[in-house]
Amino acid sequence: MTFQSSSFTALWLLLTVFATASPYLVEDIALPEGTPPEVGAIDFAPDGTLFLVLRRGDVFRAIPQADASNWQWEYFATGFHNGCGIDALSRDCVRVTQMAEFTEATDTDQDGTADQYRVFSNGWGLSGNYHETNALTGDGQGGYYLAIGTASHNGPTAEFTLGEYSKFGRRGRNYSAVKWKGTTLHCDAEGKLTPFCYGFRMHNGIHRDSAGHLWCGDNQGDWRATTPLYHLKKGGFYGHPNSLVWDPRWPADQDPLATFRADLEGYNAYRTLPAVQIPHLEMNRSAGEPYVIPPQFPHFAGQMLLPDNNGTRITRIMLEEVAGEWQGACTHFLNEGGLRSGNHRLRFSPDGQALYIGQTVRGWGQPAEGLQRLTVKSDQEPFDVDQFSITPDGFQIRFTQELAEPAQASDFDFHSFTYQSKWTYGSPQENKAMHPIENIEAIDSRTLRLRLADFTAGKVYQLNLAKLHSKEEALIQNQLFYYTANRLPEQK
Amino acid sequence: MMFRLFWVIGLATTLLGQPLSYDPNPMGSIKQPLILRTYLPDPGLEPAVLAHHHRASKSPKYSPREGNDLPGEYEMIQTIPAGIAVNHGPALSYVFDTTECRLLYAWQGGFLDMFPYWGEQDGGRRRSFDYVPRLVGNLFHLAEPLERTSPQPPRFLGYDIREGVPTFHYQKNKISYQLRIEPDDSRPLSFQQILTTGDQVEVSIVTGEILSQHSGFERELKFKEANVDAGEQVFLAYGCIACHSTDGSRGHGPTLAELYGNTRQLANGESVLVDESYLRESILTPNAKTAAGFPPNYMPPYQMKEKELQALLLFIQSLSPAATSE
Repeated sequence: MTFQSSSFTALWLLLTVFATASPYLVEDIALPEGTPPEVGAIDFAPDGTLFLVLRRGDVFRAIPQADASNWQWEYFATGFHNGCGIDALSRDCVRVTQMAEFTEATDTDQDGTADQYRVFSNGWGLSGNYHETNALTGDGQGGYYLAIGTASHNGPTAEFTLGEYSKFGRRGRNYSAVKWKGTTLHCDAEGKLTPFCYGFRMHNGIHRDSAGHLWCGDNQGDWRATTPLYHLKKGGFYGHPNSLVWDPRWPADQDPLATFRADLEGYNAYRTLPAVQIPHLEMNRSAGEPYVIPPQFPHFAGQMLLPDNNGTRITRIMLEEVAGEWQGACTHFLNEGGLRSGNHRLRFSPDGQALYIGQTVRGWGQPAEGLQRLTVKSDQEPFDVDQFSITPDGFQIRFTQELAEPAQASDFDFHSFTYQSKWTYGSPQENKAMHPIENIEAIDSRTLRLRLADFTAGKVYQLNLAKLHSKEEALIQNQLFYYTANRLPEQK
Repeated sequence: MMFRLFWVIGLATTLLGQPLSYDPNPMGSIKQPLILRTYLPDPGLEPAVLAHHHRASKSPKYSPREGNDLPGEYEMIQTIPAGIAVNHGPALSYVFDTTECRLLYAWQGGFLDMFPYWGEQDGGRRRSFDYVPRLVGNLFHLAEPLERTSPQPPRFLGYDIREGVPTFHYQKNKISYQLRIEPDDSRPLSFQQILTTGDQVEVSIVTGEILSQHSGFERELKFKEANVDAGEQVFLAYGCIACHSTDGSRGHGPTLAELYGNTRQLANGESVLVDESYLRESILTPNAKTAAGFPPNYMPPYQMKEKELQALLLFIQSLSPAATSE
């Protein structure tokens, strides 16, 4: 059966479409009336059908329509426990990571609803805790990488668990009481699971980019000084201790939480730092699924978006490879401008022109949930920084448009600070320092090279930019940027 | 809840029922059972039934503020982590477990009260350490421990849906099984079990007796005095609406419209005047008298506070304007 959203919703939509200075049109896509729009995950099938899985268990599909208020939703499948990852293989077949299992649901008789539900893969545990949701991304070879969420101390553990139990894994705030919680798993095309890397608190979303790089965010909290973006490699440890109990290399009789609580130096030596540290108040409180902007999208193609699950904003990340590792800068892609909170899943339409945003925060904050669509109002990129690169003694900054006037050193206010992740819920910005501009050099009409005083690695550099104008008299869109300088490039 | 429905043209053999809504008491029907995967209550299974589950232990309480342990331990909850609950309306509900690959328990009358897990429509708050959904209805079947438990864990493969009804596929000791469970209306407190192994099909009727009675999650309703509006709150909060309409339409149970003050035919051929004492008895001990045309055991006994009961009675009376205006 299909459902049509009501005309009331359409009216409401017209009233809420923002006509502000935002370069983006953000529209609410109405779900069937009466359906709790707690969007666990979204995905496009190869034929352009959009699927979404809702957290209570239902899966709907629709062919996207230009008119946001007039989608014909079809009720495709049901019975998934808090599905937070979906891969739409075709119009008739989806795979969903639900709490206990990775399930394939197929409509074998072409009647419009799934009639065959098969375990595609399983093997991670489930402790009975409400927090243990899972997300997926493809591995490019018919398999997947799965982000296996942890439990929260705000909820209990069952006496009889699915999967092996670890008393050390159970310790602390966010915990990995049962097998493989807090890890990233590789799932091959046959569904066979192998641990890929460790150390996640709650990587609510995972993304493999077109070059094959694997990325995830996490939530500021215990062992998370602020919101991180991680570049994942096989065997890595990404900082949250509990899941180490599932790493065969970790001593079985050792409590990882207690170990690292007592030895931060050992912790720092053992972990891989985030590629980008994203100040949680200023930029992103709780990272959803990262996603790289496809080449067809008119703005910032190739850069990464990171939705804020706890804020009305999406972060834009400018990455670069420095001395063999990824790092980079962040700013807002869109802050408010009609966005709801609860942003956690992103998909671009097959033509790359529209960004769909799946939202839910039910169970955590005031419900802010549903599906929104973002499109550009103009193909011209807003006046903003589009390249933020590190040099041996400072930064090279490129703007999307030519500057109205030659920039002055006083237009750039650089601070730095450090973060130390530990057992506390987030960590303060420490070792704050000023970095006066020692030299400013125009590379071309929109690119500047800045030499900073006391420029060293191991810090987050904050740039407060003056209210610059472009030659076309546009005001700069963002004035706040953070660059995570894990490494400096070598002097050429 | 209003839907504008457009039926897909063609013969649908696997029709889904209504999508899930904010209603914390979702129900399927005999023809279109509702399949819900969620944390599920353990209504008193012997630990040996859960032989292929792992055992957790109590854990020291932890202070996220101090980063240290606190005195005391976290209690564990009793829940089935990876079960599948199926509801055929009041006729039958059961839990198939994907870890043990067997039917764990069955009940009649209602389904699950998801309120502690799903929370209110507006707030969406689960009940902190007490979020396992509650049973609604009369439990009549609990799995017994198997005589021999294989050390090799069973393997759940999935399920198919034919004419709306799931058939579960699993393997034990490399032997494949298919299990289909359906309501059996020929006798009370029973279900039909169809187990297929290779070419062999074994059909059996499982009959039980009431083992325990469940009326969902105990709500904390806040109202000052018992009146019709408060009664409507009670009516919605306890999920009465899942079976009893207020507009005369037939549901799983009798409608409440024009009920009060009229005569009710009973299944045993007698009749009774629907007054406050009959309604009170029917809510607190529903099996005392069964309405003609409706099966026994469908309605669980509801434990509610006296003020809630009074309010509910006023609400039911308000649905019979002719009777109450006399």
